Amino acid sequence: MTMLSVRGITRRFGGLVAVSDVSFDVYEGTILAIIGPNGAGKSTAFNLLTGFDRPDAGTVEFEGLPLRGLKPHRITRRGIARTFQDAQLFDEMSVLDNVLVGTHVWTKTGFLGAALHLPGVSREERLAREQALHLLRLVSLEDLADSLAGDVPHGQRRLVEIARALATRPRLLLLDEPAAGLNSAETRQLADTLRRIRDTGVTIVIVEHDMGLVMEISDQVIVLNEGRKIAEGPPRIIQKDPAVIEAYLGGDDADA
Amino acid sequence: MIASAAIRRQGLRLAALACVVALVLSVLLPGDRYLVRIFTLVGVNLIMVTGLSLLFGYAGQISMGHAAFFGLGAYTSGVLTKGGMPWVLALGAGVAVAAVVGLLLAMPSLRLKGHYLAMATLGFGEIVLFVFGEFESVTGGSNGLRQIPAAQVGSYAFDTPVAKYLLIWSVAFLVLIMASNLVRKRPGRALRAIHGSERGAQACGIDTRRVKVQVFTLSAALAGLAGVLYAHYVGFISPSTFSVSLSLVLVTMVALGGMGSLPGAVIGTVLLTLLPYADAILPGLSRETVAFLQDWETDIHGMVLILVMLFMPHGLAGLVRSIGTRLFAKRVRPALSRAGDTR
Repeated sequence: MTMLSVRGITRRFGGLVAVSDVSFDVYEGTILAIIGPNGAGKSTAFNLLTGFDRPDAGTVEFEGLPLRGLKPHRITRRGIARTFQDAQLFDEMSVLDNVLVGTHVWTKTGFLGAALHLPGVSREERLAREQALHLLRLVSLEDLADSLAGDVPHGQRRLVEIARALATRPRLLLLDEPAAGLNSAETRQLADTLRRIRDTGVTIVIVEHDMGLVMEISDQVIVLNEGRKIAEGPPRIIQKDPAVIEAYLGGDDADA
Repeated sequence: MIASAAIRRQGLRLAALACVVALVLSVLLPGDRYLVRIFTLVGVNLIMVTGLSLLFGYAGQISMGHAAFFGLGAYTSGVLTKGGMPWVLALGAGVAVAAVVGLLLAMPSLRLKGHYLAMATLGFGEIVLFVFGEFESVTGGSNGLRQIPAAQVGSYAFDTPVAKYLLIWSVAFLVLIMASNLVRKRPGRALRAIHGSERGAQACGIDTRRVKVQVFTLSAALAGLAGVLYAHYVGFISPSTFSVSLSLVLVTMVALGGMGSLPGAVIGTVLLTLLPYADAILPGLSRETVAFLQDWETDIHGMVLILVMLFMPHGLAGLVRSIGTRLFAKRVRPALSRAGDTR
């Protein structure tokens, strides 16, 4: 079943067309990878899907409803969570509190309720904490729960952000280069984690440079180059696609 | 480990509260009017600074115009009670006026960030001050508003210094307890998240604009509440009390205590409020020293703000934390190395 349907999205920055007439579908329960050389428009596409940027043309539908004009927090509330290429953690808060912020979507305690400690506040707080700790275990970070997020090593920052995104109880999870800066063992662990997340029923779209990871976990791959979609298909086919090889070898990003 | 940390925090919180209660009551023991007067001012400032701490210390949104909300509460309630309105109703009106004006200012201003928000709130403070001074028929102009009656609930009037002191500190306590409930729960996390990364907060489903307007309105209301209590405590108010220099002192109190720390805000408030009255606490202090502190008060505040920003960005609370971390370093390191092993 189609969960996310993207039709002809375009985004121009002055004379540069960052994303040009890109269409694709994301199917429920799958992992879709978006790959392409640096500057291919991958992160811009993410921003267009999550309300952090607006397309100049094109439409995005999530579960049959258009996302046009929705602000980022509304889109999160619809069931789409995301991480950022430069992990947007709350550095002065503990790792556990970071994940707890993700539970805001489905918790209700307001200023007055919290200040007066109305009935139900403690219960909701306990529920949120249990959920947050559960998610920290899922990404193997339970030992860091009390550490300040700002003190967490670089590679694990992304895992904190994934746990935080999951805390919003999304049905679709968008990950922007989760493997950047990880060593090969960490990347393998990440692949396991992502598969586990998919198995809990969360659909995943991942922007990634690490081709090993992409080939290992994704069901479907789309390739962007200079803002355009140049290929689409299962990973094994994509690997052999002449246009893809050309884009990668022709660009600066030959290491992929 | 997490549970024990929570218990430790809860214990610390109770101990801190007990200490404050004991200190507040002990001020009354010597029967020294000067001392009671000074600490009443600490209580008034504490209510304001608690609100500003939520806005500035937690959510990271500066207001350089909080003295104006303090003034709005004071003038509203002062004028209304002089017109015969019961104090309790005037209290509500004072808080409401400050809150509504705060809301109206917040809606356009909180689109601004950093310096621009500071300039907008600074300008707002100046405008309100101008109104206090020029709207003579109501506010008494630069001569101020005189003979404001003492706070009165039913037939009981808070007309002795000790009664006023206890009234103001009871309110300060309630405000402090509610604020400390708030910051440890969902809304407090939203505030800190906005401070940490606005994009990150939005990605977590937080309507950052709405929460910023809410906390600005709340902190304006608390400043208004402090204003009402102040007006009926001193009985006389004039525009000069509500100038930008007060707004600046309030910001300095939050910064000195430490951003995102309520105990820090309390300590910052106590220290800076007592500064010009240091002789009441330290009887041995020479008259020259006290005169110096009073003459240079504003300059000292400015210096404190600069020094804190340069050398102590997390304020006194941060200093205490980093000393604590150094002392208990052994407890922290195993947690980190264990996490390293999972790689």
